[in-house]
Amino acid sequence: MFLHILKYELKNGLRNKDLIIWLILFPIVLGTFFKIAFGSVYEKNEKFSAIPVAIVEVNENPAFRQVVEGIESADVPFLKASFVTREKAEKLLDNGDVEGIIFTEDKLRLIVKEKGLQETMLKSFIDQYVVRESIAKDAMKNAPEKVQDVISVLTEETAASCREIPLTQGNPDPYIQYFYNLIAMVAMFGCVTGMHITMQNQANLSALGARNNCSPVPKSLNILACITGSCIMQAVCMIVCVSFLAFVLKIDFGDRLYLVYPTAILGGILGICFGFLIGSLSSLGEKTKAAVLMSVSMLMCFCSGLMVADMKVIIADKIPWFNNINPAAVISDCFYCLNIYEDYDRFITKLINMIVISVIFIALGFITSRRKKYASI
Amino acid sequence: MTDTVVKINDLVKRYGDLIALDHFDLEIKQGEIFGLLGPNGSGKTTTINCLLSLLAFDKGNIEIFGKKMTPVSYDIKKEIGVIMQNVAVFDELTVYENIDYFCGLYIKDKAERKKCVEEAIKFVGLEEFKKFYPKKLSGGLLRRLNIACGIAHKPKLIILDEPTVAVDPQSRNRILEGIQDLNRKGATIIYTSHYMEEVEQICTRIAIMDKGKKAAEGTKDELKRMIKNTETITIEILDIPDKVMGEISGLKHVYKTDLTDGKLTVYCSGGKHNFMRVLDVLQKNELSFGRVYTEQPTLNDVFLEITGKALRDKED
Amino acid sequence: MQVFKAMFKVTKKRLPSVLAYMLVFLFISFVHARSATKDNKFEANRLKICVFDEDDTPESHALIDFIGKSNNLKTIENDRDVIIDSLYYGRVDYALIINKGYAKKLSAGETDDLFGSYHMDENYSVVYMGQLLDEYTTSVKAYITMGKTIDEAISSAEEALSQHTEVSMLRLDKGGDSHYSVDFAQYFEFMVYILISAVMIVVCQVLVTMNRKDIRFRTNCSCIKESKYTFQLFFGSCLFVLAMWLVLMIFGIILNKEMYAGRAWYAVLNSLIFAAVTATIAVFVASFEPKENVLNLITQVLGLGMCFICGVFVPISVLGEGVLAVARFMPAYWYVKANNMIAETEPYSLSGVLQCYAIQTLFAVAMIVLSVLVRKVKYSSAAIGTSVKKIAVHQ
Repeated sequence: MFLHILKYELKNGLRNKDLIIWLILFPIVLGTFFKIAFGSVYEKNEKFSAIPVAIVEVNENPAFRQVVEGIESADVPFLKASFVTREKAEKLLDNGDVEGIIFTEDKLRLIVKEKGLQETMLKSFIDQYVVRESIAKDAMKNAPEKVQDVISVLTEETAASCREIPLTQGNPDPYIQYFYNLIAMVAMFGCVTGMHITMQNQANLSALGARNNCSPVPKSLNILACITGSCIMQAVCMIVCVSFLAFVLKIDFGDRLYLVYPTAILGGILGICFGFLIGSLSSLGEKTKAAVLMSVSMLMCFCSGLMVADMKVIIADKIPWFNNINPAAVISDCFYCLNIYEDYDRFITKLINMIVISVIFIALGFITSRRKKYASI
Repeated sequence: MTDTVVKINDLVKRYGDLIALDHFDLEIKQGEIFGLLGPNGSGKTTTINCLLSLLAFDKGNIEIFGKKMTPVSYDIKKEIGVIMQNVAVFDELTVYENIDYFCGLYIKDKAERKKCVEEAIKFVGLEEFKKFYPKKLSGGLLRRLNIACGIAHKPKLIILDEPTVAVDPQSRNRILEGIQDLNRKGATIIYTSHYMEEVEQICTRIAIMDKGKKAAEGTKDELKRMIKNTETITIEILDIPDKVMGEISGLKHVYKTDLTDGKLTVYCSGGKHNFMRVLDVLQKNELSFGRVYTEQPTLNDVFLEITGKALRDKED
Repeated sequence: MQVFKAMFKVTKKRLPSVLAYMLVFLFISFVHARSATKDNKFEANRLKICVFDEDDTPESHALIDFIGKSNNLKTIENDRDVIIDSLYYGRVDYALIINKGYAKKLSAGETDDLFGSYHMDENYSVVYMGQLLDEYTTSVKAYITMGKTIDEAISSAEEALSQHTEVSMLRLDKGGDSHYSVDFAQYFEFMVYILISAVMIVVCQVLVTMNRKDIRFRTNCSCIKESKYTFQLFFGSCLFVLAMWLVLMIFGIILNKEMYAGRAWYAVLNSLIFAAVTATIAVFVASFEPKENVLNLITQVLGLGMCFICGVFVPISVLGEGVLAVARFMPAYWYVKANNMIAETEPYSLSGVLQCYAIQTLFAVAMIVLSVLVRKVKYSSAAIGTSVKKIAVHQ
């Protein structure tokens, strides 16, 4: 009996082509968008283009000029300087032709127009110059005989004083979070399928539900078969989604891709459970339910950092428990743990967290839909 | 063969202040085609839904096959076939698949099920449409599919809730014949409708419902006997003197006359040759008239007289 | 006005759904606006740093003090898991280990392998701290080379390192944008997502209902003109969008704690134009009669996709040229561009803003034309047949 219902649930789902196509198309389209957007972000950060800067020499500073020219003549110049007048410089900056203006007054002064990576780099360049200049001056004043040694110490390529101890073998790219959240969102969209389970099994929600209720098959069995069917379909969607991200877009999920799949599938099941629960709240109309599902899913995804990556950190800071009950956050955390942590403790904890939420959703859904008779149809 | 199949006792169902079923009793015997007749909102569907344990009711007792009906009475449900007022099929499944799905909820054995499904398809005449999706079916065919889904597993008790709403006469006749056929094969049938002609045509016993109460019950002849009217004579006539009118009204068995729009209607109660006698009066007064016809009372008349209003206040 | 009235009634039925969306969106924009940390001042952020001092010498203490001057020091347990957690949840930006033998090595002028650091991602703080430490040790080494003692070298190095370049933001006098802070501009930027999602979902749903086959057939049979019908649908959609936009504007006032003034009005106008664009997109999508579930997915693809590509969620400045080239074909790009100009994160010019307005309006017009075309094709292929015939006859 279970298999009979399951068979038709699957047939039914597969024939619902629009939905299936969109569920699969959705991560493909958005994933590609993400890849385009963030792919270029990485490129931009990695490929160093010389920062255009205007230098206004208020006071003559040959040493600085020499340093700048030295940098410009390097193989990979870090600066592209133009020595201009103040008016010209301001115009250049205003037009966005240069990223900043350096004024050589008694001290060096930097004017920028916006806050960004290049501006910060300019600032640290000047800082570094100022420090070295003052050390060199100190040396000239205090120990002129050792100036050459000091300068060679200052300019020699030293090995980094700090050795970075990586905590993880995984992919450190912070933008991968967006892809985790994308998968989480696809998983949450399982709620759409989850909701229809209750729709077709509740006599007061649809004519089909009434008919199903009149059959000699226990409702729980019927629902269970439907949930299984939905889960299978959602699992297919998740597998397609992860495969596309991993193999077509070449997103690096760390070295345990084989575990990403079951995690994604479990996430999809969580989404279905969520939809099932909301669907079984009979006091709401169908449209309202769909709206609640979608908006709440989006809210969850927002909180887990789909739109603004900092969101999860902020929440972790302010209300840390929320990240443990927000399904979207739990799903994306799972991927994160899988990528970042070598041991499985955290991953398994998150996985259990996910399963607990699913079970609670299902249990609540069963309890609310358990009522066999309805006040009105 | 007089076992009671369905027994409803003192059923009360309220929707807030509205009393949908008001101490309703019903008993249906095996082999009957039982008609539940009533206007819109009289409580027919509510009764059915209560009977199927879909609706919670406030008071009363429902027994099917001598056992109390509950939502978990799967052994009872196994023997029931339901055809709801609203078409309840999967849009994404074909005709065959839909029937197979619902039949499969009742019959596990595949070979047997296949036979049942084929029979059901043949029964409703959808052989040519097996591979069709419900969306492609016309209204009447869709209704037939709806019926096939309900009866494929050969239930002993079939409940049809207005299965012929919005169905063309051809499909309707087919459906009605089918129901009678099922009945001949041994199924007990509960049939609700507000089309009295259908009920009159096929039902062996009829209950008339109004405002959640049973207004009358019996075979159609019994019902007709319950009322005063036995014959209605209508005569197309342009004008008729008051004297003649008085004469007709004064005839034995005539209890009411009415003249509107050039049509004289004479209501008679009992007696055998009322028609002749009325014509005699007209002939005697040398009045010419057009078409003349006489009618036996219909369920509509029964209903009209019992509840004081027309059975069909409006078509839907 | 019959169509319009009916539409309004349908919309009213959907009010709970609208409410659910609006509440969530307002909440999101509220949180988002609150969490926005952009401001007009340029200053290096103070990082949250924890230091594990394995050397525990006066020299290492001096270093910790030095780091503490420009950063916030945090103490956490020296446990790998705790560190990972702290780094992951951003309680700590950088974990530094001062290796044993730091003082000895430093005074000997060796600078390699003095420290270890834990980090999660290759982010800015890692680079920044690496640089800072290198600078520090190089400076100390330089002073030691000068012949100073280690203590003197450290204090001199600290002194040298404490010089900071003065950085100021360019503010050329152009009427100012004190009424439209960068923070507040974020609210308007985020509105792209909210408008697309809410408008699409509600307007599309209502339109799909209104255009349902049987209803449309019935309407087609009535004596109302097709153009009039379409116009009323447009009018109704616009009115609804206007209402939603108003709510967002009022919420903006609350969030901004003052009435719009000065340049902020440009932003208001900008968002109104964009709202109109989304309405036309909604009409366009509705003409394909998507099912509700599918509509939700389309909406998310459109909303999220546009927001990512056009620089709502990721700043335009970090997006590559290729992305921006694609983004130019999306109305949200021009909305964001105008918004950036108004907030002066991009050079402001009135003509530039007006140009953005114009391009957005063009998108709206294009959408209307497209939806009319789709309607023609979908709803009256027969009509097309006859028009083709007509043309043929004329020839």
